[in-house]
Amino acid sequence: MSRTGALRVFAPSLFVFALSIAGLLLGSYWQYVLALSISAAVIGTALAMIVSYARCITIATGAMLAIGAYGAALPVVRLDVPFLVALLFATALGGLAGLILAVPGVRFRSHNLAMVTFVFQAVVIIVLRQSKGLTGGAEGLPIPAPVVFGFRFSSDADFLLLCGFLSALVILPLIVLLEGALGKNLRAVAANESAARAFGINVNRHLIAAFVWSSAVIACAGAIMAPRYRIIDPDSYGILASILALAYPIVGGMGSPWGGLVGGAVLRALPEVLRPLADYLELMFCILVVATIIFFPGGFGSFVTGTFRRKPAKLETSARSEPRRAVHDFISDMNILGRREVRPPQDRSRSTPILRISGVTKSYGALRAVSHVSFDVTAQTIHGLMGPNGAGKTTLFNIVSGLNASDEGQVLFDGTPLDDVPVESRIKLGMSRTFQHAAVFDKLSCVDNVLIGLGLNDIWQASVRSVHMAMHSQRARAERKAAMAALDAVGLAHRAREGAGSLSLGDQRRLEIARAIVSCPRIILLDEPVSGVSVEEAAGLRELLLRINRELGTGMVVIEHNISFLVSLCNRISVMSDGRIIAEGDPDVVVNDALVRRAYFGEREISA
Amino acid sequence: MLSELLMIVVGGLKMGAIYSLTAIGIVVIHKATRTVNFAHGAFVLCGAYVTYGIVEVLQFGWWAAFVLASLAGGLLAAVVELGILRPIRQADSFAVITATIFIGIGISDIYRLLQNTEILAVRSMIRGAPLFIGDAMITREQIAVVGGAMAVALIGVALFAYAKFGRGMRAMASNPRGAVLCGYSSDAMNALAWFVGGAMAGVAGSFAAPSTGVTAELSVAMVTAGFAAAVIGGFDSLRGALLGGLILGVCETLAAGYVSSAMKNAVSFLLIFIILLWRPQGLFPEAKIRHV
Repeated sequence: MSRTGALRVFAPSLFVFALSIAGLLLGSYWQYVLALSISAAVIGTALAMIVSYARCITIATGAMLAIGAYGAALPVVRLDVPFLVALLFATALGGLAGLILAVPGVRFRSHNLAMVTFVFQAVVIIVLRQSKGLTGGAEGLPIPAPVVFGFRFSSDADFLLLCGFLSALVILPLIVLLEGALGKNLRAVAANESAARAFGINVNRHLIAAFVWSSAVIACAGAIMAPRYRIIDPDSYGILASILALAYPIVGGMGSPWGGLVGGAVLRALPEVLRPLADYLELMFCILVVATIIFFPGGFGSFVTGTFRRKPAKLETSARSEPRRAVHDFISDMNILGRREVRPPQDRSRSTPILRISGVTKSYGALRAVSHVSFDVTAQTIHGLMGPNGAGKTTLFNIVSGLNASDEGQVLFDGTPLDDVPVESRIKLGMSRTFQHAAVFDKLSCVDNVLIGLGLNDIWQASVRSVHMAMHSQRARAERKAAMAALDAVGLAHRAREGAGSLSLGDQRRLEIARAIVSCPRIILLDEPVSGVSVEEAAGLRELLLRINRELGTGMVVIEHNISFLVSLCNRISVMSDGRIIAEGDPDVVVNDALVRRAYFGEREISA
Repeated sequence: MLSELLMIVVGGLKMGAIYSLTAIGIVVIHKATRTVNFAHGAFVLCGAYVTYGIVEVLQFGWWAAFVLASLAGGLLAAVVELGILRPIRQADSFAVITATIFIGIGISDIYRLLQNTEILAVRSMIRGAPLFIGDAMITREQIAVVGGAMAVALIGVALFAYAKFGRGMRAMASNPRGAVLCGYSSDAMNALAWFVGGAMAGVAGSFAAPSTGVTAELSVAMVTAGFAAAVIGGFDSLRGALLGGLILGVCETLAAGYVSSAMKNAVSFLLIFIILLWRPQGLFPEAKIRHV
């Protein structure tokens, strides 16, 4: 993050507060409308976390607003609690509600998750309506104007200022998280869950955190706004309110928190501005959303940025950039991070097995994909794994990296059994991987992809790192430097800020390699690193892998169908066929092995 | 006591049969096009509104209402698929699901603009003295609705299982590319699936109109019930959706009869929640081995 980082984080808050100050010039009614708008901007920003970043559909927004509104109003009305204390209580209550919703909810994705939020929404409103004694039921609950330190915010101007100030305050932490590591991780989860998990992102915890934060902020917005309504009733927080709020980030733009913020502010003010068309508003609203989905899939935000942002220089994209820096430079960068003692390449004996696979078996129904596979990968060597399609190579990789569980057998990493090590923790042991179908996080920039590759992605770590990024701290700078060094090592430094989705396939594979090496792992699993890559690029990638192996001492297991590539890269090759290892040894010996030739060419080749 | 229970159950079966029909439409569309259709309630509303027009305004017979309501529901669904969803299906499920949510709200809103009244009443399908089993009174309409809706539902299930277009849809469902390579047009199959699903929703609207009346709320109520029934049945099973609808209907009337009317509204939500958490594959999943 450059010097503009701090501005990026504070800009939305400043914008919201400036809006409320500017509103002082308006008449009383428009001050009320502006307060509504600001409140919706907060809701939109909070929804950006769930909808734009994690790409989950939530229709529980109305329920969260209601929880906030009643959670703040009831202590004030029934117990005479000061407004600000009640506000904090309501925010915490909203967070708790988000937790209650998300813990069962994140077991699902897509429509089932949407259903769970729908159920939550409906149940909360039914409960509020039924508990007449406490909430006043459908008749509503009158709320006094907020009093803060003895000052009564009763006029529209006063209330607008209070609303603007509190809203600016409450979205600040949200923006820090969205612009920081947590937001990037959520985007990674939305792009590719398996890849996200392989780099240490616990998907469910991230989604739960997103729901908790977002719900707390929405509840806070509900609590701030409730006194202005004078009287609140459950039905104004119904399913329709939820669905209309869902439109904020979708219409506003999914590319940044600004989409939800501006989308909320504009869409909420629209009905007041277009009073004469009140009857047709809801329909126009729906048409607007559907049209946005069809014609501007990223929302108006990305339409605007796409039109006005300076296009990246076209010349650079065609020129093949060669790796400029020595891979070795990492080591100094990684030492700043101080996270793992990086050993110079030669201090480990080449004979110790870093990875020991013993008797691993995996069946899908009657199909035995991997059958009693055992082999060792020696530290700091490049170990090839070849075999016809369907031999079980990728399944084996998924077992080693923890995405699939084996039925039998054991994988030892540096002597430690991996059975109980979840996939998200394996990157911290020093294991990373690439994927058969290039699995870059397409909505993130190249450098952000590599930053995720650092593997510092516990939910707690990600939150702390978000703060570091926002403060542009030494630690954040060191991380970024390491990421840039990795990009430079694969020859992609000049495209660091571009979206990973815009890269060519060969460059995506390079990016995957940068992401896999940035954590200085002790072993990398490479699944078909040169499939679909041109001959020249394949040669470049081979040089790159050899250098990484030589200079960092990184061990590798490489699956590849390009046998000349494999033979020229590897120290040792194992051959799989029908789930079993059929040969193992020096590359030249293995490719001439009769069994191997039969597996590839069939019987006739042998007899000829 | 027992007769009261019997009446409650029969009343539940009546609404349940309508839910079944709605749920089967949702499942047909989901099976064939992998699209979860939150706009399904709007198709039911469309069928109910057409039924009102035919039966109450034009004073035609019920048969005309059934035919035209199913046509209207089917055409509306096909238009939604061809005009709106087809272009965005390439993107991802997120776009499609959100689009159906807003399409559903939009169609209900068009209805509200066309007909700005609280509720439109539709006369019942069959008149005549109720039947008695012991003390339990069962109206002829209840029998007609349960029998009629079940018959339509079974026809739908049979079509999907045995007819040629059902085979095409199942092929699209299990492997869209393979089906295209075998000569099925994916656009045509998708539109057909939406037509069939929408037609079943339209008929569900016809059956529902006399008991619920025609209101804009019918849309959300029916999509909720349809989803609950589909979830109970495992979401991908037509027979499951059929049974799920009946179970939901009976649970609702039992809750209304023995607990409270607020409980009746909560039943479908509670069932969705319990089934998703406890048995996400549904009570009647299709036997299927899935390779990861």
